[in-house]
Amino acid sequence: MVLIHDYLIEQIHLNIIIAFTIVLIGVLIYRSHLISTLLCLEGIILSLFILIVLLISHYHIFPTSIIPLVLLVFSACEAGIGLALLVTISYTYGNDFVQNLNLLQC
Amino acid sequence: MNFTLNSMILLSIIMLVSPLLYNMLMPHKTTYFPTYCKNMIMMAFMTSLPPMIIFMLYGQESVITNWHWFSITTFNISMSFKLDFFSIIFIPIALYDAWSILEFSLWYMHSDIFIHKFFKYLVSFLLTMIILVSANNLFQLFIGWEGVGIMSFLLIGWWYGRTDANTAALQAIIYNRIGDIGFMLTMAWLMLNSNSWELQNIFSTNMDFIALLGLIIAATGKSAQFGLHPWLPSAMEGPTPVSALLHSSTMVVAGIFLLIRFHPMMENNQMILTTILCLGAMTTLFTAICAITQNDIKKIVAFSTSSQLGLMMVTVGLNQPHLAFLHICTHAFFKAMLFLCSGSIIHSLNDEQDIRKMGGLFLILPITSSALMTGSLALVGTPFLAGFYSKDSIIEAINTSYTNSWALMMTLIATSLTAIYSLRIIYYALLGNPRFSSISPINENNPNLINPIMRLAMGSIFAGFLVTMSIPPMTSITMTMPDMIKLSALLITLAGLAIGMELNSFTNKLMNSMKHTTNFSNMLGYFTYFTHRIYPLMNLYSGQRIATMLIDMNWYEKTGPKGQTNIHSSMSSLLTSTQKGLIKVYFMSFLISITLALMFASMSTNNF
Repeated sequence: MVLIHDYLIEQIHLNIIIAFTIVLIGVLIYRSHLISTLLCLEGIILSLFILIVLLISHYHIFPTSIIPLVLLVFSACEAGIGLALLVTISYTYGNDFVQNLNLLQC
Repeated sequence: MNFTLNSMILLSIIMLVSPLLYNMLMPHKTTYFPTYCKNMIMMAFMTSLPPMIIFMLYGQESVITNWHWFSITTFNISMSFKLDFFSIIFIPIALYDAWSILEFSLWYMHSDIFIHKFFKYLVSFLLTMIILVSANNLFQLFIGWEGVGIMSFLLIGWWYGRTDANTAALQAIIYNRIGDIGFMLTMAWLMLNSNSWELQNIFSTNMDFIALLGLIIAATGKSAQFGLHPWLPSAMEGPTPVSALLHSSTMVVAGIFLLIRFHPMMENNQMILTTILCLGAMTTLFTAICAITQNDIKKIVAFSTSSQLGLMMVTVGLNQPHLAFLHICTHAFFKAMLFLCSGSIIHSLNDEQDIRKMGGLFLILPITSSALMTGSLALVGTPFLAGFYSKDSIIEAINTSYTNSWALMMTLIATSLTAIYSLRIIYYALLGNPRFSSISPINENNPNLINPIMRLAMGSIFAGFLVTMSIPPMTSITMTMPDMIKLSALLITLAGLAIGMELNSFTNKLMNSMKHTTNFSNMLGYFTYFTHRIYPLMNLYSGQRIATMLIDMNWYEKTGPKGQTNIHSSMSSLLTSTQKGLIKVYFMSFLISITLALMFASMSTNNF
């Protein structure tokens, strides 16, 4: 394990949190394609994963090191559901433009 | 005297075994085998008469214990014969009936190629019946009990190509088996609580309600009391000699005989006596009601048998087992004769059994019709014929004893119905104009037919008197009673005859007003339709419900994929009707509110 000084570790945490914020804005603001939301969702998961692993290995709380793996499992399920929704929308409308979704269809 | 009685009874039983041995050792010599059987039964009857005469003169009873069969720790079973009042008198009567019936079946089954097998079955049936009647311990009695059940099955299904005959044989076995459960209950109770199956040991213990109830169930199964009765009318699918021997004189009285054997145990238990009384009253009335609208001559006589069995049960329930036994003996004569006369009529009309297609046989078959009328008169209890001594005594006893008045009323009504259905047979079969086709092989010139009927007719006229005057009186009968009570049996029978004549003339004048009641009576009170259909149907339904509906469809489908689909799609269609789908606006508002909240939170902590 590389020794990291006390004030440096906070900069690394800030870095990852800024990455998370950028991806979050990416989820919420997009032009027309729904697939960009799904991509940025994966990005959120990735940044959270890295953050948790760093926290665990820096503060040596190894009993909780199963948590990142569980997060990964649930993210896989969630990506699958997202893709299924994308396929359904694409099947119904032919494209994944988000302007289609304001019609009251189930 | 002791030696004579024991050895002659044993010789009589050995004579029954010899035709079976003959057929086993020389199975190819079948030409004179039926006549040989009949002669051996006649010899066995003659051999069993001296013991009966010795008993009547000296009152000598005996118990013969031959050899020790097996022991299970302290429980011993040996082969023993109990020759007391009941068995010494019953064995000659059963052999007399069997002799007449075997001679009759020489005429009736003459054209059957397996006639030697038929006689073999009849002789083995008779052997098991005698074993049942003379058994001293319950094991031997059970051997006889099962034996008569098996032979009944083989003989009812004699014409096994016929579906109805197979069904009837199976029905007989199943109903008898249900009765056997009761018998085994009693045997098990006795094995546990009294350590012996010998009748002498049992008579010195007290029997519980459960054990006696087992005996009642056994009698219900074997003697066709109400609840387990449908096998007896269905058993008429067998040939007429089978009906005459098994299902009128001998096998069906086995249940009543068992109750009579155990009467010392039941004397003091009023609950058991009342159960037997009410069961017998129910049986006798129900089967008499069914008998009055049947159209098959053998079924009418079968229901008549069932009704008389109910009457015997009523007598046992009145704590008068000796009267019941007397009725068994006299009933054997005239009922067997009624069956033989019906067999003669059936064969003469080219196997026609429906009384709506008979008629006018009164002058054409003189011997048969006079025997039929004698038997019917004996059945209804005409004074001083055979049935009078037993039946009138029973009606007097039930009228003058402190008993259930409902049972009394049922028995009296059934007595008047007896007259009605006897009159029905006579009216439809013998009187009026002929309703059968003109080419009928009407012939009663064969001595094999005439002699048995004459013999049994002599029996039905004189047997009541002879047996009553010869047996020692075991109970004291009521000597004084009002005139009406004394004449009640006769008056009820005459009233029944008058009503019967009136009812029979209804069909001539086509009054159809009694449609529903005749349906109830003709279809046996719908009892068979309910019990034979509903119980298996319920079982099959529950099986299908558990296997298919519960397991397959419910656990695998509804709580699995299909249920989830239904829940989710119904919930989402409920929710989406409230939204408008403006996703970008929703996301933008989310972003702005999160940013504002974070800024607000960090500013309020005063820590920058």
